[in-house]
Amino acid sequence: MSCGKSENGSRVWRTADALHVDVRGLDPPAPMVAILRMIDGGEVDDVLIAHLDREPVFLYPELDLRGWTHEIILPPCDGGRGTDEVQIRLARLIA
Amino acid sequence: MTLAATFLAGAKSRLLPASVPFRFFAAAAFFHLLMWLALLAGAEQAADFRGGPGPALAAVHFLTLGVLTMSAIGASVQLLPVATRRAHAAVWPIRLVFWLVVPGMLVLIAGMYTGEPSPLNIGATLTSVGLIAFATLLADNLRRAGALAVVAAYGWASLVALILLVALGFALALDYEIAILTNHRAVALAHMILGGFGFMGMLAIGFSHVLVPMFALAAAPAKRAAFTAFVLASAAVTIGGAGALIDSTAILTFAALVGLCAAGLYLWLMHRVLVTGMRKRLGLSFVLIRAGWFMLPATLLIGIAALYGLAGPNGPTLFGFMLTGGWLLTFLLGILQRILPFLASMHAARSAGGAPPLLSELAASGLLKVHAVCHGTALVVLASAIAADSTMYLRIGAAIGLIGAVVFGWFTGQVTRRLRA
Repeated sequence: MSCGKSENGSRVWRTADALHVDVRGLDPPAPMVAILRMIDGGEVDDVLIAHLDREPVFLYPELDLRGWTHEIILPPCDGGRGTDEVQIRLARLIA
Repeated sequence: MTLAATFLAGAKSRLLPASVPFRFFAAAAFFHLLMWLALLAGAEQAADFRGGPGPALAAVHFLTLGVLTMSAIGASVQLLPVATRRAHAAVWPIRLVFWLVVPGMLVLIAGMYTGEPSPLNIGATLTSVGLIAFATLLADNLRRAGALAVVAAYGWASLVALILLVALGFALALDYEIAILTNHRAVALAHMILGGFGFMGMLAIGFSHVLVPMFALAAAPAKRAAFTAFVLASAAVTIGGAGALIDSTAILTFAALVGLCAAGLYLWLMHRVLVTGMRKRLGLSFVLIRAGWFMLPATLLIGIAALYGLAGPNGPTLFGFMLTGGWLLTFLLGILQRILPFLASMHAARSAGGAPPLLSELAASGLLKVHAVCHGTALVVLASAIAADSTMYLRIGAAIGLIGAVVFGWFTGQVTRRLRA
């Protein structure tokens, strides 16, 4: 797993199954812009897992326009503690 | 309910039921129609309007209270909780605001139209209570908006202006029944400055620091420069309000010059956002938004010219028209053209469980083109009518504006219907 911090303050790493981006702590609309920049810039193959500190409701129409789907997944260590972290799996729609 | 469902419900509860924000937008579209109708009815007194009861005063308040304030309430109750990550404690206070403000302003504006003091005071009381309730909701959300410092600063300034605006408005309404003001005209000007540049202007500029980068897909403006513009804008409104109350041309001129500096810096920041944004083709809504931006400094220049009698005999009327109909309404209509389908798409995505309808399906571009052309033409014709003191041109301008308002109402109805389908 390699990990890097980009200019906009987001953290990007790759695991076996997907590319991850952590945009927690960024002011709106920076999280949305960072995610879309990765998608539009061709950095993501088919799946991107975004770690956010709020549900990105404004991002959904933009994803839809680009032919991407989204699915909210629970944080693996949440355990019902009520953390505000949101993880979303973004996937390119197969034509 | 599973753990996942509980979690998702918590995250999504920040999105209000669609009927809550959309009732404010639907009301704004309805008041938009009434505004043009009132202007048509009061065309004879509108070109040289300086205040006082009648259809022209009613038209001004259909615009400021009906269109601008209702849209501002709808947008802020929906957008702030999402941005601040703190849901409203309850939805009923927002519904209460609606049921206080809408009947209140209808009675108030009926009083303004007829010049009857009783409905004027009853309506002013209801509207004031509703707006104070909204101010409380806004304050509750702003105090938790830690991550949005610039938006919060503009929001607080807007809130202070709203409270002062309501107080002065209430005094102006009461003055028609029991003369309590020594200089009604000066208080009316302060009321206009606090409403146009203070409450609505600060809210519009504040929200644009999030909305414009979001639409252009750009980083938010640099904080230091944004705060400098905020300090200048706040100073301009404060000095302008004081200058109006003490009836001082010199102080009003100084306020307008400070306001021009604030507007220049704000517009430069917005220009940087658009230049650096990932989305270059911003569509028709941004034609209106850019036109609104152009009219912000133009309004201030006309204001200075009017202070020295250089804007023609109807200079003060032209200033008021450019402030409310030019800068604020044009900017707001541009934002609404963009945000109504956007919010509808978000809500539809929630109810459809992640399969939102396309924005393009929700936004009927043909209707929006007709509306934008009608709005732009109406503005040009009305500004010319005020400058030329022509009732006939004023009627033509109001009729064109009315056609645009019908089309915009149709568009709002279409978005709402697709949302419910």
